[in-house]
Amino acid sequence: MTSQNTSMPASQNAAPQWSRFPFPETLIRYSVLLGVLVFLAWSVHFLNLDLQRLLGAFPRLGAILADRYFPPELSFVLDHRFLNSVLNTIQMSILGGAMGVLLAIPLAWFASYNVTLHRWLVYPFGRLSIMGCRAIHETIWTILFVTIIGFGMFAGVLALTMFCIGFAGKLFSDEIEAIDMKPVEALRSTGAGPLQVFVYGVLPQVKIAFVGISIYTWDVAFRAATVVGFFGGGGMGWYLQRATYELQSTRVAAILLTIIALVSISEVVSGWLRQRLAGERLA
Amino acid sequence: MAMTDRMASENSDRGILSSAGASTYFERRRSARIRSALIWSAAALLLFWCLHVTVIADTDWERIGGRFGVLGSIGRFLLLDLSLLPHLIIPAIETMMMATLGTLLGCVLALPVAWFGARNVTPSLYFFYPVGRFLMVLSRSVHEIIWAILFVGAVGLGALPGILAVAVRSVGFISKITAEAIENIDPKPVEAIRSVGGNQFQVMYFGILPQIMPVVLGTIIFEWDINIRRAAVMGLVGAGGLGLVFFRQMAMFNYGGVTMVLLAILMLIIIGEIVSHFARKAVT
Repeated sequence: MTSQNTSMPASQNAAPQWSRFPFPETLIRYSVLLGVLVFLAWSVHFLNLDLQRLLGAFPRLGAILADRYFPPELSFVLDHRFLNSVLNTIQMSILGGAMGVLLAIPLAWFASYNVTLHRWLVYPFGRLSIMGCRAIHETIWTILFVTIIGFGMFAGVLALTMFCIGFAGKLFSDEIEAIDMKPVEALRSTGAGPLQVFVYGVLPQVKIAFVGISIYTWDVAFRAATVVGFFGGGGMGWYLQRATYELQSTRVAAILLTIIALVSISEVVSGWLRQRLAGERLA
Repeated sequence: MAMTDRMASENSDRGILSSAGASTYFERRRSARIRSALIWSAAALLLFWCLHVTVIADTDWERIGGRFGVLGSIGRFLLLDLSLLPHLIIPAIETMMMATLGTLLGCVLALPVAWFGARNVTPSLYFFYPVGRFLMVLSRSVHEIIWAILFVGAVGLGALPGILAVAVRSVGFISKITAEAIENIDPKPVEAIRSVGGNQFQVMYFGILPQIMPVVLGTIIFEWDINIRRAAVMGLVGAGGLGLVFFRQMAMFNYGGVTMVLLAILMLIIIGEIVSHFARKAVT
């Protein structure tokens, strides 16, 4: 931190007047730091936190895991109904991811300032809808869709779709805003409409990045799909919820181990795919 | 491996184009087109299969009750319950505090994990390095809701399990980025400090920390922004904040109140986005 603010003013001022603590910057810096510290202390007080319990939390978690959760009931996980729910979870994540990505592409187009259709009407609409999808957590989306269309995987798929719109839309629009504007200018100067500009000027530049982001989105969607069932969205989360509320801790442990294993596999798969894609980009 | 293969095939492709003429080139293009068509149709089939199993076969279409049923259910959410407004302020502050404290605790926990998981500074490549990597994967692969359930079991109801869940969940991302930043540092300052007799701590504090600071601070701010969303749902499983209000309003079927809670979450996210925008500008 200090190395930054010592070098800055020396290069800016005409008269090289070196000082360890240049006046306005340090005041702002330290007052912000003080404000953050005061906020933290106040929040510890406000939330009535017992710091001793905080320190004891991890040993207690370990003790509980060893005590109640320890022999994971693997026979439950190997049951064909549970395996079917795992398959359903994967399907939900694929479908939700695909729908989310498809809807995110036009929204990302609207929400990128450089190629948007209209900077005062369409741009805020795109921005706000992506931010709204991102702001609401996937579990809340699940609960909302469950109240509207009932329990089952449809609600889970819709919740994952909203989640993926938020997740992929932001990355997509960041990618679009970083493109080279020259092809876009060229197309515009020949009289191309906005859709033509997007399809021929923007998409070719971001295609490979979009595929990479889509794979990553699927990875994240799968992680979210493991819990949408907890709130009625179908898939393996439903078994998790039942086992949790029935206090069948050994079953919960087995399901958690399955989730960790599956998420690790999905991470490896998506990493491998993205690496291959990066290779394609270089070649 | 795959990359070098690809480059080799690319080179041979060019060679053929120049020597054997256009017919081979067009054949190649046609086979590439057939391949991409096969991939696309396989993807379409996969998607349709998923759609059939998860949506068409699984949904109780009777319960939804047609277009008007859905519109009616959505309409119930639109009648805002403004009387809830004063009851939202304190939970909103609580949520913000849970996110902040959780992020801070996550940073503290991420320190040793990043140290273990960075290949060039880890104490032992055969023991601590895999442990660090495993902790990163563990933290990210278990969803925050599940962490919250585990911690509610361990420390009881209240804000504490929410803070712990948020913290543990954010360890993975922070420590992963930090470890990558440590692996990519310039080794020369480290050498210099070592050569003048600096010990392990001094090497870290003066050699590594200044180099990774901007990246790590940016990541922490980014994670704080995400943690606000996470803290807002901790109440669903028994750890205070806006999630608890959401859960109660849902249990009372007060859909207007539910929308109010959603708007409050949206407000918090907007505040978080603005703050993190300026904070990231300040540190980088």
